[in-house]
Amino acid sequence: MNEQEQNFESLKKLLQLKQHEVPPPGYFNNFSGEVIARIRAGDASRSEGLAERLQSDAPWLANFLRIFETKPGVVGAFATSLCLLLVLTVVFAERSEQATKDMLAISPEPAGMPVSSLASVATPMMTTTDTGGIVASTNPVTSLQPTPTMFGQPGYASLFQSASFAPAH
Amino acid sequence: MNMLMSEAAPIADANSPTAMLEGDLVKRAQRGDLKAYDELVKRYQERIYATIYHMTSNHEDANDIAQDAFIKAYQALKSFKGGSSFYTWLYRIAVNKTINFLKQRKNKHHFSLNDLDFNTEHNPDLVALISEKTPLRDVGLTELQKKLNEALFKLSEPHRMVVVLHDVQGQSHEEIAEVMDCNIGTVRSRLFYARQQLQGFLAEYVKS
Repeated sequence: MNEQEQNFESLKKLLQLKQHEVPPPGYFNNFSGEVIARIRAGDASRSEGLAERLQSDAPWLANFLRIFETKPGVVGAFATSLCLLLVLTVVFAERSEQATKDMLAISPEPAGMPVSSLASVATPMMTTTDTGGIVASTNPVTSLQPTPTMFGQPGYASLFQSASFAPAH
Repeated sequence: MNMLMSEAAPIADANSPTAMLEGDLVKRAQRGDLKAYDELVKRYQERIYATIYHMTSNHEDANDIAQDAFIKAYQALKSFKGGSSFYTWLYRIAVNKTINFLKQRKNKHHFSLNDLDFNTEHNPDLVALISEKTPLRDVGLTELQKKLNEALFKLSEPHRMVVVLHDVQGQSHEEIAEVMDCNIGTVRSRLFYARQQLQGFLAEYVKS
């Protein structure tokens, strides 16, 4: 390390030249006054650009945004992925909404219908067309629940009442 | 004028800002006393300016960044808890501002070098460099200054900062580590690498 230090002696002497670079005479006479005047005037907020403030407060965000400046392709890819995300969100939201509606539409067992008659139709080979909307499932509870069809529940129409969101008179 | 030697003015009055200790001035400035802050600015303006100037090699930029650094420090003064000295804390703000500025500028840079002072021609080391030991004996000090600044600018910001703080400003490894928020080993390795690089860039002016 000592030898390396000696190797840099010449360079260190050359670097002394930097110490002789001085600002114009009298430069520091007004420096603090200008700083205080700017503080008083509240000039600081104007002098500091948004980008610089972002860089100091949230450097990760500034670096992220800088990628967009330098690589326009990334902007397109990012925008496309955002759009895809939005579409997927809408699709999944609709699906989950439909599933919720289905769950809510399931009615309790009609009072007059004997359990044996329901059990008799819950065969493994059953299809929805055979049973009028009963879905075959490994779930012993839900498999017996009739599901709504597009034209309402055959035989249970009187149990349902259409919801109306019109204001009451 | 040596920019490394910047001390407070002689004590005139025990209650005057110039006679106060740094800690007292900071406390007063934290309460909004601009006279106290003015004194703090006066104490450190030369060193802060010099560091920024050596990093940017541009007087106007150094002036703007130094002023901004002092203003930002004043605005953030309430958050200063005294974990480090005010000087180190202020330096850190100035260093970060300078590095951010240089990153934004990147390739759009131009030099605006300050003049060399009168003592340059009487510095025996420099005289020796431009007369006997340098292969280019007819090189002038001004040209050497330009070459030196160009070589410094080829270094990355962290490497240039370490050289400036250590070899130009005379700060210790420990102080630099605190200012740059890294460990001493990093400072040492950066300094060694930066010197090697500079030696290569300035091979015709430096005897290796």
